[in-house]
Amino acid sequence: MSEPLLTVRDLKTQFYTDRGAVRAVDGVSFDVEQGEIVGLVGESGAGKSVTTSSILRLVEEPGEVVGGKVRYGDRTLVGFDEAAVADEDGRPKLVHSEEMLSNREMREEVRGNEIAIIFQDPMESLNPVYTVGGQVREFIQINRDMSKEEAREEAIEMLRRVGIPEAEDRYSDYPHEFSGGMRQRVLIAMALGCRPNLIIADEPTTALDVTVEGQILELVDDLVDEFDTSFIWVTHDMGVVAEICDRVNVMYLGRIVEQGPVDEIFHDTKHPYTEALLNSIPRPDRTVSDLSPIKGTMPGAMNPPAGCRFHPRCPDARRACREVEPDLLEVGLDHRSACIKHGEVGYWESEPLEHTEAQPETVEGPR
Amino acid sequence: MSLLRYTVYRLLQAIPVMFGIAVVTFLMVNLAPGDPVDYMISEELASEELIASIEARYGLDEPLWRQFLNYLGFSWFLGLLGVPGFADAPPGLLQGDLGLSMYYDRPVSELMLTRIPPTLMLVLSAYAFALTLAIPLGVVAANRRNKPTDHISRIIALFGVSTPSFWIGIMLIVIFGVWLGILPTGRMVYPWRDPAFYGYGNHLELWYQTLRHLFLPVVALGTLQMAVIMRVERSSMIESLQSEYVQLARAYGVSERTILRKHAFRPSQLPVITLIGLNLTTSLGGAVLIETVFAINGMGRLIVQSIQTLDYQLILGTTIVLGFVFVIGVIITDLAYAYIDPRVTYGEEA
Ligand SMILES: Nc1ncnc2c1ncn2[C@@H]1O[C@H](COP(=O)(O)OP(=O)(O)OP(=O)(O)O)[C@@H](O)[C@H]1O
Ligand code: SF4
Ligand SMILES: [Mg+2]
Repeated sequence: MSEPLLTVRDLKTQFYTDRGAVRAVDGVSFDVEQGEIVGLVGESGAGKSVTTSSILRLVEEPGEVVGGKVRYGDRTLVGFDEAAVADEDGRPKLVHSEEMLSNREMREEVRGNEIAIIFQDPMESLNPVYTVGGQVREFIQINRDMSKEEAREEAIEMLRRVGIPEAEDRYSDYPHEFSGGMRQRVLIAMALGCRPNLIIADEPTTALDVTVEGQILELVDDLVDEFDTSFIWVTHDMGVVAEICDRVNVMYLGRIVEQGPVDEIFHDTKHPYTEALLNSIPRPDRTVSDLSPIKGTMPGAMNPPAGCRFHPRCPDARRACREVEPDLLEVGLDHRSACIKHGEVGYWESEPLEHTEAQPETVEGPR
Repeated sequence: MSLLRYTVYRLLQAIPVMFGIAVVTFLMVNLAPGDPVDYMISEELASEELIASIEARYGLDEPLWRQFLNYLGFSWFLGLLGVPGFADAPPGLLQGDLGLSMYYDRPVSELMLTRIPPTLMLVLSAYAFALTLAIPLGVVAANRRNKPTDHISRIIALFGVSTPSFWIGIMLIVIFGVWLGILPTGRMVYPWRDPAFYGYGNHLELWYQTLRHLFLPVVALGTLQMAVIMRVERSSMIESLQSEYVQLARAYGVSERTILRKHAFRPSQLPVITLIGLNLTTSLGGAVLIETVFAINGMGRLIVQSIQTLDYQLILGTTIVLGFVFVIGVIITDLAYAYIDPRVTYGEEA
């Protein structure tokens, strides 16, 4: 296979809060090929949104991308080098590498025209004092070097294609005149209208009803066929993943625990967390009583559990899971899983961990 | 609802409010203790006839309900319609007549027409001064949050809000007028007068002199407003700059400059407009002091005088007109708000 479109390697993003550093993204690696739809799934707080904004360098104070590498084609969006001088603790200090794009290059050459993002929250993402159409038009105009008139035509066309009825009339309405689902579609229209090469969609269909979701997914399919657009599709919904994704990354507490082609993930599941996630969703071949939600809640990213981060909730956890931090290991063709079961570190010899009610309650991380 | 309909709607709404102001003020002034005629005639031995003739001159000999109808101008309409007993009723508020001032012995409306322009000129110039400084400073401070520029502008704001305007006025007079002697400190000149009246050759010179005369009072009155507006501008901009829609604009490659001037700026002006609307009218209070300090013959001084002399008609007229100014200020604020925030007009219809 040729060079991937997007490579993310060991990406690390932290938030410096009053209570300490939150390691929201803690060593995430994955690839996106041209024309591919890559899923990013996981529970709330796993770090999916932070991962996406780190790729575009949109992380805001008090957050900061602190390590790793993101390459898009032959451009370096995020990159670090070790500085000549060490910091106070004697550890090598990381500085932004030379080939990393400047803020200006990010803005003019990458954001919007190469990589567009669809934000998670449709209610807050549109500017309340400008018309919906005007906002779509503005972004299309900037990113496709169109005249105002052309961009306007294009904006109306995109609004129509994402299923906004009477798009021409609604162009000059304000965001408060749109429902949540409609605003979501406006955000999608913005991303599509800029004709980027890669679209990062952060739960873009969560607020939509099933019919509209179906339409959007079809539209996405068309785009991939027509323009060879790639997608990173962030979602909670394994059903959507099965429907549109080529490959999947399962995230848990700032890390990727399993990644691979969608068929393998569904039919040859390797990681206990993925398994639990699949068991917790309704499927046509199961009844509701077969559903088994994952026990407990995900701990905060401030002090992740030692060893395997999933061990307090893992049905298969053994003593060794508390000591050894599992790496992503090859478990099939292009299929990796981070569980010590796959390695040679004495999982099978170790004693099972009892999950009793008395187990200390994990604390919810800061939101 | 379109902006035009909203405007008409708000103006219509103001009519009953203004009527209420006129009624309440009339009653309050009339129920206040003290007889204006007694006050007017200081000689102990005023004859009955003299008092009666004075009362007749100012319309005080009629029953209160009749005085009320006269004052509002209803009697005049009734007279026009030929209702018996109202045949030669005087014009009133609705006809733009506010009666005679007892102290000046001139029509109240005429007095106010000469006193309102200086006050308007003072207050509006003070706001022009405050806004041209406060808005850019607030935006820059928000954009460079916690950097030196921000700290400096915050210190200026702190100074501005905690220093009384009359004190600033006196200090300015001492420094610029007395020590340095470079700026005039009183005897305001007005640009609508004839330049020859002041001995200036042409209008240009008159304007220049007006600006020089206005400078100190405007700084004295405007500093507080500048400080308050700057603070609100800053915090409101900070909030917008952290909003999702600004994040979205960044994600689509909009430059920081455009974000600052467009995406974050416009939504940030809503609280600023509310503040200006409310303060514009209350700052008339500040204008009273500044007019006194700088000897400007404006509304402020007129009101103070009317109370000192118990000039019944003048108190009534100035209070009602000030009330109207307040109502109009609120309407203008609302309209400005509706112009910027599309949600406002919508909400009225729902
Ligand atoms: N501004 C912030 N300050 C502090 N912590 C933050 C901030 N933003 C995110 N985090 C932390 O980063 C972690 C990951 O958050 P993220 O929003 O990426 O989750 P997510 O996987 O997108 O969840 P969801 O499905 O609910 O959107 C969470 O623990 C969260 O508390
Ligand atoms: S390493 Fe242990 S705790 Fe972690 S997923 Fe595997 S079995 Fe479960
Ligand atoms: Mg999220």
